[in-house]
Amino acid sequence: MTLPTATPPAGDTGQQELPFPPGPIEALLQLFVKAVRAHQLYMPNNPVYKGAIDAMRAGFAPIWQHAEEFALRFTETEIRWHGRPVLVEASKSSDSLPWTFFKDGVREVTFAKGFEETELVKLLEILQRLRKAAPDEDDLLTMLWEADYAFLRYRYVDLGVEAAPPAQDGGAPPEKPAAEQVQASVRAQIEDPRADVVNMQDFDATLYFLDEKELDYLRREIDREYQSDLRGNVIAILFDIYEHQTAPEVREEISELLETLMLLLLSANHFSNVAYILSESQVVVRRAADITPEQRGRVGMLPERLSAPQPLSQLLQGLDESADLPSQNELTELVQRLQPASLGTIFSWLPKLQNQRVRALVQQAADRLATGNTGELVRLISAPDRGVAMEAMRRSAGLKTQAGVVPIARVLAGGDVELRQAAVAALSEIGSGGALQALERAIEDPDRDVRVAAVRALGSRSHHGVLGRLDATVKGKALRAADLTEKMAFFEAFGALCGEAGLPYLDGLLNGKSMFGRREDPELRACAAIALGKVGGRKAQESLQRASGQKDVVVRNAVNRALRTGGPNS
Amino acid sequence: MTGTPPTAGTPTPRRTVSIAAPVGEGAIDSFVRQKGRGVILALYTALRSIKLYPLENSAVQKALADLAALAQEFVASEHELDVRVSGEFIFVNATRLRLDLDNYASFSHVLSVFRVCGIGTMHVADVVTARDWQVFLTIVQVPTSLEPHDRLTEVLAKLDAAGVRTLALTPPSDDDGEDRERAKERAKKTYTQSVTVTKDLMTSVRMGKSPNIKKIKRVVQGIVDQILNEETSLIGLTTIRDYDEYTFTHSVNVCIFSVALGKRLGLTKLQLYDLGMAALFHDIGKSRVPVDVLNKTGSLTEIEWRQIAAHPWLGVLALFQIRGTQEYPYRSMVVAIEHHMKADLTGYPKPIRPRQMSMYSKIVAAADGFDAATSRRAYQTVPINPAEVMREMRDNPRRGMDPIVVKAFINLTGIYPPGTLVVLDTFELGIVHAVNPLPEMLARPLTRVISDPMGNLVHPGEIVDLADRNPDGTYLRTIIKTENPERYGIRVSDYFV
Repeated sequence: MTLPTATPPAGDTGQQELPFPPGPIEALLQLFVKAVRAHQLYMPNNPVYKGAIDAMRAGFAPIWQHAEEFALRFTETEIRWHGRPVLVEASKSSDSLPWTFFKDGVREVTFAKGFEETELVKLLEILQRLRKAAPDEDDLLTMLWEADYAFLRYRYVDLGVEAAPPAQDGGAPPEKPAAEQVQASVRAQIEDPRADVVNMQDFDATLYFLDEKELDYLRREIDREYQSDLRGNVIAILFDIYEHQTAPEVREEISELLETLMLLLLSANHFSNVAYILSESQVVVRRAADITPEQRGRVGMLPERLSAPQPLSQLLQGLDESADLPSQNELTELVQRLQPASLGTIFSWLPKLQNQRVRALVQQAADRLATGNTGELVRLISAPDRGVAMEAMRRSAGLKTQAGVVPIARVLAGGDVELRQAAVAALSEIGSGGALQALERAIEDPDRDVRVAAVRALGSRSHHGVLGRLDATVKGKALRAADLTEKMAFFEAFGALCGEAGLPYLDGLLNGKSMFGRREDPELRACAAIALGKVGGRKAQESLQRASGQKDVVVRNAVNRALRTGGPNS
Repeated sequence: MTGTPPTAGTPTPRRTVSIAAPVGEGAIDSFVRQKGRGVILALYTALRSIKLYPLENSAVQKALADLAALAQEFVASEHELDVRVSGEFIFVNATRLRLDLDNYASFSHVLSVFRVCGIGTMHVADVVTARDWQVFLTIVQVPTSLEPHDRLTEVLAKLDAAGVRTLALTPPSDDDGEDRERAKERAKKTYTQSVTVTKDLMTSVRMGKSPNIKKIKRVVQGIVDQILNEETSLIGLTTIRDYDEYTFTHSVNVCIFSVALGKRLGLTKLQLYDLGMAALFHDIGKSRVPVDVLNKTGSLTEIEWRQIAAHPWLGVLALFQIRGTQEYPYRSMVVAIEHHMKADLTGYPKPIRPRQMSMYSKIVAAADGFDAATSRRAYQTVPINPAEVMREMRDNPRRGMDPIVVKAFINLTGIYPPGTLVVLDTFELGIVHAVNPLPEMLARPLTRVISDPMGNLVHPGEIVDLADRNPDGTYLRTIIKTENPERYGIRVSDYFV
């Protein structure tokens, strides 16, 4: 490999002797154009994209058979190799490869063997960024420099920087003494040493060798430099300045900066930094000297402002659409800094979130916020938004919030079917005496699913308070018209709660006959069998035994099941 | 497309061709660079062991065997081993090896041995046995008073007499001298463009406008390239002291010193860029300080002192104007606020929230302190002697600088930094040109002799190495003391521009 220590040959007009035929170079450039296009149009996992990249990589192989590197020169419309045009694109547009390089000052690029393995895609990414870059964004030279290539070199004309006057010291040149004066002064210095003479024998150059510990220290400090949270550091700086400086214009400027910074950090999902802003805003309001009500209002209200429905919705929407998600800890940290009132917005968004992972993240974060703000949670049970109400009921249930029982009971009394179902589930999960009491009425709900869920819950929790209603329902005509599942649920609950007092009725249903010698409906008899199984005890068992030889399959199966499981706790 | 140098009375042409930063960095360390480093380190180890122990000692034999094996591995893979020295760099098969913390002393030693023996290139195309290496490394370490050119002739003759024909040695090429001249011209261009862009930057900020971030980036990239290529010229230009443009030249000088120090500490190219940006912006807060306060010659009132002392935090606010389409320059903000805080945080402004000073702030603080003390300013019409400043930074803990960073800074500039006027024991005056590449010769810099023993001042004067010795082993020249250039009517920067 050679280094470009000499300036490039002047001018491109003359063709030079070619070290090998230009075919491979021309072919490579065609593949380059295709690869650039593929990078624009396709994702990296697309077969067309992969094919284009592979083809371009393969295009270098014939060249490496002749040389370890090759240089291409750029004009406005041409790419030249040894003075010979190898790619011509007449239009000066962002689609033109020669123009793309030329317009930003690049005049020559040298590719070395190995470029295609590790740096090709990087170059394509740069060219793609360049296509989309605004005029004040980085140009090709800046991007090439930052890319720090090992197998690509380039020469350029720096178009962006103006010519500057030659470097020279300011001020008038000093007056020079005569030679004799200089000589005399030097002799005087040598013969009459002063305090600032260095004693060479005393000087030990090894004092300046960095030993291993010092080298380690420097390496660690450099690592620390790049592991530190710069944004957090700058936020701390801004708040320090805010506390130190009482001038209103300074505080106003900082408040504005914090607001802008917050938006930027939210857009980039740097949630722990936003959480830090919110928490420090409260610290500063407490601690800053001479803080006015307006200043307090502006910086102190940051958590409240972010908690408002509109900004918070933006945050959640952005999160749902983002490819780069924060960690659970980061999101939880931010959500915990929000006001309790933000719970409603979060709950309303949960069902709308498309990204499952985001939903999981937000749910967990919301759980933490709800845990610390049960008052708000309970309030949201009565929210007009049914999604919010459902979510609030669900979480109250999860937290077993007693304060939620009354509002949930209200929902049970007045909400739509889905809400009533959710209310039943919630009260059941809360499971307190009050909750179960509120649930009692639900066994008479117009909706079958609500009734079933309620009676199951009450039965499983052995809530005797509902026995009266249960008794009436079990013995009533309405249940006979219900489906088997509902019947079974009621009889199971009845069996769990009635004890031996219910035996005569249940035995009558299972084994009894009417005046005309007819037995009860098989479904009802099966339900009675199951209920007897729940009652348990000798008499219930005897009743079941009497029915064990029944011809009816439904009844027989139920009897057998009851005999097998048996007992009030089964 | 080459640039034409400016001539008096003609407008400077707008465009010149520059050479980009040499290939070297990249995310992946190439085989050549990795193995090349290994070969040079093995060379150094063998040189040292031969110097310290008898040849039959096992340490010497092992070092030679290792060197032979590494060189053989390299040749087997790359078909040849070509070690070239140019300026302060070593190239292996045309790939430049970077100095960093782990190897700079070793590399410098190999460089100096080659230089003393007049070796520009050492070429190996075949198997070099341990015995061949032993002969070569013994010969090159024999003390000599010959000039490098004659010394090389002597070395070649001795190798031939010993039957060592596997090493081809050639003198440095004439291109090296031309390269240095070109590097010097590039350094001047980089420096002046940097000052111009910095002036535009601070003027924009003062006027409340958004500065051109692209130009600033290009300037810092240019400084990094220059420092990586050839730092001596650019460091020499920091001696330019423009009283009226102090703020701008100071920012550029601090950037140059910081990047050079960062290079010494082994920072990568992109890390140097980060450091350079932060260093260039470190005093941007002064754009928000009234100009009459900045330039006041008399003592400052309490209010005026507070205004000036506010420039670190004003700099943070000013940097929020600089963003373009990317993130804010957070790192630069940290350096702007911290560069006067001192390593123990007893400086200003006092932090309220817990803080640990960043490494880049420490580097910039050292560079800032040095350049400020050695400059002429409104309130400091006589700049302090650079060597005295260096001593003060080293010896006075109240300055608040990180002592290890200061140590590294002294390694960069030497005890007598470039631009120091020195009185030599030969009754000559000299201006320190550059630190001696030999780490153990920090107090014996490369010095431009600017007067003869009769007191006649000369320009440009010859650059001599104060580590050079007489045949009897004594030093040819020794610094007796440092002096104030104005006493002799000398403008130091005239010898660097």
